[in-house]
Amino acid sequence: MKVIEIHNVNKIYNESEVKVHAVNGVTLDFEEGEFAAIVGPSGSGKTTLLNLIGGLDNPTSGDVMIGGSLMSSLKGSDLTDFRMHNIGFVFQAYNLIPVLTARENTEFVMRLQGKTAKECSNRVEELLKAVGLEERMEARPSKLSGGQQQRVAVARALASKPKFVLADEPTANLDSKSTETLLDIMEKLNKEENITFIFSTHDARVVKKARRVITIEDGKVISDEYKNIED
Amino acid sequence: MNRIIKMAWRNIWRNRRRSLITIASIFFAVFFAVVMRSMQLGSYGHMIKQTIEKYSGYLQVQNPEYFDEPSLDNSLEYSDELIQTLILTEGVKIAVPRIESFALASTGHQSKGVLVSGIDVEKEKMLSNPEHMLVNYKLTPAIVETILIESNFETKQQEFLKLFENSVYHDLDRLGLDLALKPEQLEPYHALFNKYAKIQGAYLKPNDDGVLVSSRLAKFLRTEVGDTITLIGSGYHGNTAADIFPVRGIIKIPSPDLDNKIIYMSLPKAQEFLSMQNRITAVAINLDNSKEMIQIQEQLLSTIDPTEYTVKNWEELNPVLKQQIEGDDASGKMFVGILYFIVFFGIIGTVMMMIAERKREFGVLVAIGMRKRKLATIVLIEMFLMGFVGTITGMLAAMPLVIGFNINPIKMTGETAKMYEDMGFEAVMPTAPIDHYFTWQGIIILLMVILACYIPLKKIRKMKVMDALKA
Repeated sequence: MKVIEIHNVNKIYNESEVKVHAVNGVTLDFEEGEFAAIVGPSGSGKTTLLNLIGGLDNPTSGDVMIGGSLMSSLKGSDLTDFRMHNIGFVFQAYNLIPVLTARENTEFVMRLQGKTAKECSNRVEELLKAVGLEERMEARPSKLSGGQQQRVAVARALASKPKFVLADEPTANLDSKSTETLLDIMEKLNKEENITFIFSTHDARVVKKARRVITIEDGKVISDEYKNIED
Repeated sequence: MNRIIKMAWRNIWRNRRRSLITIASIFFAVFFAVVMRSMQLGSYGHMIKQTIEKYSGYLQVQNPEYFDEPSLDNSLEYSDELIQTLILTEGVKIAVPRIESFALASTGHQSKGVLVSGIDVEKEKMLSNPEHMLVNYKLTPAIVETILIESNFETKQQEFLKLFENSVYHDLDRLGLDLALKPEQLEPYHALFNKYAKIQGAYLKPNDDGVLVSSRLAKFLRTEVGDTITLIGSGYHGNTAADIFPVRGIIKIPSPDLDNKIIYMSLPKAQEFLSMQNRITAVAINLDNSKEMIQIQEQLLSTIDPTEYTVKNWEELNPVLKQQIEGDDASGKMFVGILYFIVFFGIIGTVMMMIAERKREFGVLVAIGMRKRKLATIVLIEMFLMGFVGTITGMLAAMPLVIGFNINPIKMTGETAKMYEDMGFEAVMPTAPIDHYFTWQGIIILLMVILACYIPLKKIRKMKVMDALKA
């Protein structure tokens, strides 16, 4: 089942009278349960494409459809609610809420959805256990390492059972060991929960784990390859 | 909601120092505003108590025509029934009859237009209490010279004695203030002053046919206790009023204007002099609680015969004092307004800084699904909590001072005390009791906090997620 459909999407920035074609006529589909990496050099348009998929930015032209809904038709609170229910985000700089504990950060989106603390409890504990932080549930982000924070960010992104997770260079600030652990966790959750993961990255370790690699250059998709990875 | 409040509370303490500075600025603004307003309102209360409660009364019953045309022909009939009606009205403390008219006073030396005030000698003690204004000591140049010879005052006190030649005093404590001596320092000299400066004046008796003359007027007329004074005027319905009155005593009226022109006599004598048998010009009323003045005025107006009587309150009778208070009150409010204005910009600065610092975080929150309205609510609650903590602590800190100085007012000393006493005021500065003004300061601050959030909240509403995430 197609989760994301991108049709001939363009994004042009007007920076000091110079037009920058950040995304240039991209057409892509993502199926449920994919574990895909968008790769390319810096400035190639990876993050812009991710932002367009996540409804954080609007395309200059073309359509992005999530689960059959046209993103450009959603505005304001409707768009925010749509993101809350359908999309999980993992940012390069973790971006956890500093005043909340790991548990509270993880349950944050669920609580926004109106779920009670009791309803969230099992899911949060399950996820934090899955990311190996069952002992650090009550710690605030400032007391966690970078790798631990990113694992909490992954748990937060998955907690509300979104249709897919967008991860923008999630390993850029992590050491090798943390990267390896995080990728294993995301791969495991992808398989267990059948949630689509889309990464933007130029980290070879991520590319190695991905089952689909989309290469983008100057805003254009130049290759889209599926890999056969044995379990 | 609990979760949002918890988050807002934790956010406050993220930048502990800045939050504490903001809370402190609100605390001090509320503290100073409350204390200042309390002292200001307290001084108005004191002023009203001293002038209104001790002279005109909060209310006056008059003939309906008297206010516009204060003539004896517009007087009213004085009956026990009227006084009973007034006294039995709930909230009325005392009702004192008076006659006020003008006459020409003459002695062998001078003559002058004077205000004749006929009073119920006993009842008046509960209102203006002229007995308390009776001059008991007088420092004539000859007396000062004698005292200087017989006393061993220091140079400073000797200079003061000469400076206050011809001054009159009700008691020696007030004289001590002029000589810059504390009561205990003056005590050894009491016998000396009693021997040379004491005047044998006396207060009026209920049916006395004598008069009390105000001190400045007595000086002008060159009259003293025991002398006689001639009064000529126009009585009720144009009757000629003329009589000779022995001077029973000299009184020192706090108001210089009144001290220049007033003569007190007993009510029966005044009625006889002015051919006003059983008539008066007004009944002055004091109340148990001055805050109920308007209600009691309305109640009295509905009780008494409107063709015969009307009731005026002190604000109608003394618009000058009311305007003075209103003018001073406006300047006080302006000062508090400036104080709040400064704090207001401090709060705006804090909110703007807070939003600028957390722009990226706000972007993340909106990206993962928090509505901007909810985000704005968190910011508003954060500011409200800071405002609330600052306001409550400011009020709590001001409370002991306000209550303390209300029960035990600040006592003035030195020149300020003299100035107060010469104006006829007790030399104290009480604070106003805790009342609406107290809670208003809190409400104003909290409204200001909300107002200060307007621009920042608008920024949140217009925030672009992408821009915020790049911050």
